Amino acid sequence: MSQFQLLGIFDDESGMVGAIKAARQQRLRIVEVYTPYAVHGLDRVLGLKRSRLSLVCVAAGGLGAVLKMWFEIWTAAIDWPVDVGGKPWNSLPAFVPITFEVMVLFAGLATVGAFFMVSRLRPGKKPDLIHPRVTNDRFALLIQETDAAFDVGRVRGLLQSHGAVEVSERLVEEVPA
Amino acid sequence: MNHFEFTYHPPRSLGRWLLAACGVGVLAWVAGLLTAPDRAWASLMMVSFWLVSMGLTGSLFVGLMYACGAGWAVAFRRVPEAMSAALPAGAIGVLAVLLFHPEMYPWAAGHEELKGFHAFWLNRPFFLFRAVAYFAIWLTFSALLNRNSRRQDEDGAMLHSRRNINLSVVYMFVFALTYWLASVDWIMSLEPEWVSTIFGIYNFSGMFVAGLAAIILLLLWLKQSAPMRDFVNQEHLHDLGKLLFAFSTFWMYIFFSQYMLIWYANMTEESVYYILRQQGVLGILFIANVVLNWGVPFLVLLSIPAKRSPVVLTSMAALILVGRWLDLYLMILPPVTHGKVTLPWMEMGMMLGAMALFVMAFLAGFRRAPQTPVRDPLLAQSLSYHN
Repeated sequence: MSQFQLLGIFDDESGMVGAIKAARQQRLRIVEVYTPYAVHGLDRVLGLKRSRLSLVCVAAGGLGAVLKMWFEIWTAAIDWPVDVGGKPWNSLPAFVPITFEVMVLFAGLATVGAFFMVSRLRPGKKPDLIHPRVTNDRFALLIQETDAAFDVGRVRGLLQSHGAVEVSERLVEEVPA
Repeated sequence: MNHFEFTYHPPRSLGRWLLAACGVGVLAWVAGLLTAPDRAWASLMMVSFWLVSMGLTGSLFVGLMYACGAGWAVAFRRVPEAMSAALPAGAIGVLAVLLFHPEMYPWAAGHEELKGFHAFWLNRPFFLFRAVAYFAIWLTFSALLNRNSRRQDEDGAMLHSRRNINLSVVYMFVFALTYWLASVDWIMSLEPEWVSTIFGIYNFSGMFVAGLAAIILLLLWLKQSAPMRDFVNQEHLHDLGKLLFAFSTFWMYIFFSQYMLIWYANMTEESVYYILRQQGVLGILFIANVVLNWGVPFLVLLSIPAKRSPVVLTSMAALILVGRWLDLYLMILPPVTHGKVTLPWMEMGMMLGAMALFVMAFLAGFRRAPQTPVRDPLLAQSLSYHN
């Protein structure tokens, strides 16, 4: 089954934000919003839930720290104890800098990796722009038909009343999951 | 808005309470002078250095915002501006110790024979001259920054912003140099044979995180009791929370940098500093210092909702102020008392007095100008700021 979508193109962020607010008030289904830069406060206007990426960051950081701490204790105190300046084998202050670095490394790589996975980005991916100027100076708002009560004319009017410079209709084949 | 009426009048009972707290501080000092004069003078240095640091955080925060063109903090810039009013009070205290009780410093009391550069740097006339020079520099910069900011209220000219930007860039360098030397002069030279090149940065990190805590507490209070109600919102608090979190961690980073190198090398003349502070009760305080200044704030302020919550911010800021007291206590008192710990009633009473004095100086400074820089070109950006 194919789905009917309306694409509104705006030339400034305030018009788009106004259209989003109005569309949400009328319970229209917003599929996606495309902007050339991060618009502050957009996540709140869209009512998005907080990203879970920070959980990945904390978990990976904790894992990295624990692993590295275990590895340092194992190498320096269990497998091959080395006397450094007469200090105890398990000298925690000496382990802190490297543990910290590995924690940051794990957290950083895992966060970027998780972001790429969730957003299906990969090196060499062909750009798939909804509008050629959306990476330059245009803001795109994509609204999808939900049921029979969906009135194309009314939604088009709503987009235009908020300053949409261009409104187009699209039929999208539902992608098999 | 040429004739701005400052409408906020703090409740009269507040003034009485502040005076009473100041009285407690003075009483604690006098009682200390009679019972344990060495501790009383060291404690005076401690609270005066705290006041100086609070005043400096005010002007440094303002300067930092100008130097990096940050607009978000403009709406509440009058708060850090007014904090610099604490500088003169701290200066008087520091100079009083240096003038009337130089015996606190072993090199001045003649207990230790200094050689080479130490002998050149640590001699009384040069030492006093430097102290006066630091204060002259700090007072000049903070007065000029405040004056330009207040002149802008009258004519709204961009010229004042530009002047303050240039002034601030210079101030960043001058501040780094003078505050580093001042903390070396007044605190590190209590143990003249002990040397730590990171000592100035360590003190700066403690100063700035405590100053941020004070800015947060003052802002939340002024927001609740009216004058800042319309100018400060949750976005500003969120950013201050981020800074508090970041600088608390920065303090830990510098603390550990200093500790680890000395621990690793384990050279007698260096490790004596930590050995003194890790015996007995001081050892417990030593760990409490890390927990209060970093451990708890780090874990609590990690999440976004915590940084936006006034209740959480208030409690963490208060905790950090207690931590700063402990940090200064551990830096200044042990060499004077030779590591003997008694109930620090004097140090606590005097800190209470210093805090009251700080609030009084702040209010006096705050009431001299409109509570927000009404004609700063960045004010609109600050008021509509989003994270």
